[in-house]
Amino acid sequence: MKVLVSMPTLLVATLFMPLVGALLIGVSARRGQASIRQSALVTALFTLGMTAVLLWNYDASAPSYAAVSFPWLGPSSGIDIQFAVGLDGLSLWLFGLASLLLVTCVLVSWEAIVERPATFYGLLLLLGSGMLGVFAARDIILFYICFEFTLIPLFLLIGIWGSEDRRYAAAKFFVYTLAGSLLTFLGLLAIVLWDYNHSGSGVMTFSIPALTEGLSHHPIAAPYQLWIFLALFAGFAIKVPLFPLHTWLPLAHTQAPTAGSVILAGILLKIGTYGFARFSIPMLADATATCTPWLLGLSVVGILYGALVALAQTDMKRLIAYSSVSHLGYCMLGLFALTGLSLQGGVLQMINHGLSTGGLFAVVGMIYERYHTREIRQLGGLSFRTPVLAFFFVLFALSSIGLPGLNGFAGEFLILIGMFQRAWTAAPAPLMLAYQSMAVLATFGVVLGAWYMLYLIQRVFFGPLKEADHAPGEPPVRDLSPREVAALAPLVVFILWIGLHPQFFLARMQPTLEPLARQAAQILRDGHRQDNPVLAGQPSLPSGGPTRVE
Amino acid sequence: MSNETVYLLMPEIILVLMATLIYLGGAFLPSRPGWSWLAAAAIILAGVALYQQGTTPAVQAALENGLLSGPLAIDLFSATLRWSILGVGLVFVMLAARTSEQGESSEFMGSLLAIVAGVMLVAVAGDLVTIFVGLELISIPTYVILFLGRGANLLEAGTKYFFLSILSSALLLYGFSFLYGATGSTSLGEIRQALATARPDGPEMAAFARLALILIFAGLGFRLTIVPFHFYAPDVYQGTTNPNAGLLAVVPKVAGLVALVRITFVAMPGFERLGWQLSLALAIVTMTLGNLLALWQGNVRRLMAYSSIAHAGYMLIGLAVGFAVARGAGEANHFDGVGATFFYLLAYAAATAGTFAALTYLSSAKRPINTVDELAGLAQHHPKTAAAIALFMFSLTGLPPLAGFWGKFFLFTGALGVDAKSPDSSNLWPWFLALAVVGAVNAAISAAYYLRIVAAMYFRPPLVTPDARGGSGAAWAMAVCALLVLSIGFSPGPPLERSNRAARAARATFSQGSTAPAEPAAAVPRPARPSAQAQNRQRALAIPSRGPVELP
Repeated sequence: MKVLVSMPTLLVATLFMPLVGALLIGVSARRGQASIRQSALVTALFTLGMTAVLLWNYDASAPSYAAVSFPWLGPSSGIDIQFAVGLDGLSLWLFGLASLLLVTCVLVSWEAIVERPATFYGLLLLLGSGMLGVFAARDIILFYICFEFTLIPLFLLIGIWGSEDRRYAAAKFFVYTLAGSLLTFLGLLAIVLWDYNHSGSGVMTFSIPALTEGLSHHPIAAPYQLWIFLALFAGFAIKVPLFPLHTWLPLAHTQAPTAGSVILAGILLKIGTYGFARFSIPMLADATATCTPWLLGLSVVGILYGALVALAQTDMKRLIAYSSVSHLGYCMLGLFALTGLSLQGGVLQMINHGLSTGGLFAVVGMIYERYHTREIRQLGGLSFRTPVLAFFFVLFALSSIGLPGLNGFAGEFLILIGMFQRAWTAAPAPLMLAYQSMAVLATFGVVLGAWYMLYLIQRVFFGPLKEADHAPGEPPVRDLSPREVAALAPLVVFILWIGLHPQFFLARMQPTLEPLARQAAQILRDGHRQDNPVLAGQPSLPSGGPTRVE
Repeated sequence: MSNETVYLLMPEIILVLMATLIYLGGAFLPSRPGWSWLAAAAIILAGVALYQQGTTPAVQAALENGLLSGPLAIDLFSATLRWSILGVGLVFVMLAARTSEQGESSEFMGSLLAIVAGVMLVAVAGDLVTIFVGLELISIPTYVILFLGRGANLLEAGTKYFFLSILSSALLLYGFSFLYGATGSTSLGEIRQALATARPDGPEMAAFARLALILIFAGLGFRLTIVPFHFYAPDVYQGTTNPNAGLLAVVPKVAGLVALVRITFVAMPGFERLGWQLSLALAIVTMTLGNLLALWQGNVRRLMAYSSIAHAGYMLIGLAVGFAVARGAGEANHFDGVGATFFYLLAYAAATAGTFAALTYLSSAKRPINTVDELAGLAQHHPKTAAAIALFMFSLTGLPPLAGFWGKFFLFTGALGVDAKSPDSSNLWPWFLALAVVGAVNAAISAAYYLRIVAAMYFRPPLVTPDARGGSGAAWAMAVCALLVLSIGFSPGPPLERSNRAARAARATFSQGSTAPAEPAAAVPRPARPSAQAQNRQRALAIPSRGPVELP
């Protein structure tokens, strides 16, 4: 596809598109709901279209695609902060996913949001700009600004349009995430300052590629690295969320409006895993080697714990929220198994989870609009009443389970292959057994995943028809409208595309992930050399470690 | 006092004269809205005088190199702060234009002008006595403002403030007297010189100066609301009106911080160790206590009082970094901490003044906004005001991309960077790392109570509809502050640059004496001193480049 504008210009335009849309909606807030939601949809579609052009023209051979930067806080103050954006194999598909889910979010809110529509869509679009910015940022400050900026709109979205317990959920989400991310910020600053003190350039650079490059020449001293790693861990692990830090998530998910849940599950959780892949692994290699067994252990516990708790849920949204804890455990497992395959799988799984769980939350939202309940017990046999809805739900659920042919399989398979490879061929000798048992236990997560999902489908969609809050005299509940199908269909397209031809997506990640994998190989070697007595035992949970933040 | 001094003090003199005029006029023409216009005109006139001064070559040279003229220090630091405080004054004139109409408009506006003049005097002072006069010029009109209205609550607030303010002035004077005893001078330049040269052979002098440093921290800690000198703030803010509370939250902090920097950071070389230890400990205690106590407040002004205490703790982070970095090192560099502190002060002042402007706007004379509950549902009937308050709250929390974020960013960068810049790095960095971590955790704690306000405005149904009779002046003040918070957020470079340069200038002005070759000082007559070293010091202090200021 030949386009007239240059790709960097298009990228900047894409980033600002939702922001401009939000401002336009803000100034014309007095118009009716219909015209506001149309403007929001047009903005989201434009953003998606521009993203599609960007992604289609992606040039995998360049180290950074569509990169552009403008000075922000100039070198005259001794600091070099830039408005620097660009995409690479790691961020490319996440960027696309964010654009895609933005459209879905506008469409699923179409009828559900009656109260203060201008504020709602304005905030949703602001959130969109923030999410796109997180993935496109090539400057630490810009990254952090976008990272934090996503908090405010989502806080308001949950707090204003959420369910009954929304105010508590919004506050808990905000304070929890902020506490972690402030420590992350200190960690990022420490990285920058180390580079500043050791590069000798005299200018404090905040550019992510420059820092990655610089730190490979003068890596941070090991004891500092560990502390910095833990500081970054605080924010990213809360965002993921990794096992003991996940308590905010089910609450926020359950209380959020549908669009909020979709964005939260689809995009915002990925910021945590993205942060690990973007900062922790490439910049803090030694600390990564030290912490890998712990992180793998936490991931496996998260996988199993999330799945088991999901099995016991009676609320559909809560169930899917806990399934997210489990699935994000896979992403972390993939990243920190640190093999070439598992890294690819981990990044692919981020996209997969966004598509399938985003879709599941959207469908649950549609069920809620029809029956005003999310309780599993109050529903049953819906496939008779709403076959199309049931079709979509089952498809998303199967994708989430990892049925071969759908996207989830590709991701989980790569992750597990990588993990097994690591455990049997490249694990540090004293931990061999621990790694092997972790790999086996992680596989059980797949089984549990199938169990809770299929059990859910069985109860809600099959068996005798049970409809909550629905008097016999009322007209029967309608199946999905074309608008709702339009919200879900694009997700299905990508679920099938990734499932049937993952190579298309993997090939574009490959050049970026390869250096990471190479470095990971080095970490593996270093891991062998390290005879750290702390790591000798079975990796157990650090109970109340230094990174626990309330 | 020479002609030169009078000329240099022209803006302050204009303000005090106009204040007197307004006081007097108020006796004959009470309750007229015109007084706020007159006050605004006075501030603009003072601004014109300040601008005119800046165009003369002598002052321009002073802005480059610093100039000590009698009791005054003219440099980029004083100029920056004089301009800023004129701006703050104008915001508060606008803010209180309507509310002060109801009774004692002339007294309020006159006092406000005197307070502004006082802060400017502190900013421009190069002598302990001038600083003290400036601080009293702030305190005394503040008592008047707090007593205006004569309600029972106001009486309590005013009395509390009065007695504690007197106590703090006494502590400060006590500290000054030790400093004078140690160095034999009240001029900051001479104090600096004496402490820099005579340190090794005078242990009793060092002990005196140490005591002076602590007492000065205590005396000025009252203005800055540093724990344990903070306890008046919640009661006083709660007991007074919204505009008064805003004034108390912003203006004494500016004056206190300026005086603290001028005296302890600039004029007391050799005591940096005590300086950073004191600032660091006070910063940690002040931030933590302020934020924790704010969590339980239901009264908005009380909440903002604890918030202002917490922010004073943040400002001390920069000061601690400044002391640690300056210790032994020559000139401070880009991340010297003190520049970051003043940037933080600007961000804090904009958000706090804006919040109180919004509260004033929503109030009426009969029904002021007192509690967080009264803000419930504000987003539904006053969406713009609610958005502005939310903006201020997020900025105070330190969320990007607002002004408060950059303030915290520069402070934390300074604290984490102490390691590399300080001469004895190995034993300092854990302290400053702890400081930065405590600061970060505190920011998260503060989010909880700032969010309560946002949550009340956006998430809860309205309980009462505020009268919103605060007048268009308050609305404009709010808009100006919101614009400031946003524009600093998007373009933090220029204000940071300016505050860094100003902070460097504050030190450079007084260190000229030791670097420049001595020449006899002639321009400014000084009182004779009993000490034999006095001549020596005076010689060292003289600035060769200084010529007589050309009077137009």
